[in-house]
Amino acid sequence: MKHQTKLSQEQQQQQHAAEQQTQSPSAREFASAEEMLRYDAAHTTVPPAIARRLQKSIGQTGAPPRSWWRNLFGL
Amino acid sequence: MEQPLEDMAPPGFAEAYRTHSRSIYYLALRFLGDPQKAEDATHDVFLKAFRKLEQFRGEASLRTWLYRIAINHCRNRQQAWHDRHVFPNTDDAILENAVAETDSPLRVLEIKELGQQIQRALDALPAEYRLLLLLVADEQLSYEQIGALTEQSPDAVRGKLHRARKAFTVLFKKNA
Repeated sequence: MKHQTKLSQEQQQQQHAAEQQTQSPSAREFASAEEMLRYDAAHTTVPPAIARRLQKSIGQTGAPPRSWWRNLFGL
Repeated sequence: MEQPLEDMAPPGFAEAYRTHSRSIYYLALRFLGDPQKAEDATHDVFLKAFRKLEQFRGEASLRTWLYRIAINHCRNRQQAWHDRHVFPNTDDAILENAVAETDSPLRVLEIKELGQQIQRALDALPAEYRLLLLLVADEQLSYEQIGALTEQSPDAVRGKLHRARKAFTVLFKKNA
């Protein structure tokens, strides 16, 4: 009888795990809108093309006055 | 062969780009709702910062200053787009009255579709609510800084955020 009960528990656990997998392997809950947006932001990749375009634009613009860089970064 | 940003720009600029570009790009992406526009905006924001940094006096943090440039840029882009398009606004009364279920967690069945669902909900929000939610999602910004960026008091930010969260939750669940 005990053996049957244990088998039944294991079967239930397996069934529950299988149901969870079938339902959605990537389901997730967020407590708030901010938490969701933070997750989204953390998984957003900045396109490398932006840095390349910046390099090109800066190359055409030339260096800005050096004084502010000294002020800002203590150089 | 292209020179790396470190060699092109003065010391610190490449580091500033590495540190802040994700936040600026994300704000532009979700505020404008278009990856190409967000790419253009991020490029323009950092280029403007590069050109105008002599105007940066260090009274605000560099991050806040970049956000200010980005917000102005995105608002201008959005205004130009709005001038060319007419579309119905979300009914504020519906959002205000939709109190039910806003305290329950936001459930997502497929993470890979999360970005699209978020974008649909944000697009349906008034622009002010959308901006406040995106700014408050940045944990490095205080209510005081968000207030300064959006030209209102921290208390006003808190009050509007409460309504913005509620509206977002309703729209997200509606669009899920």
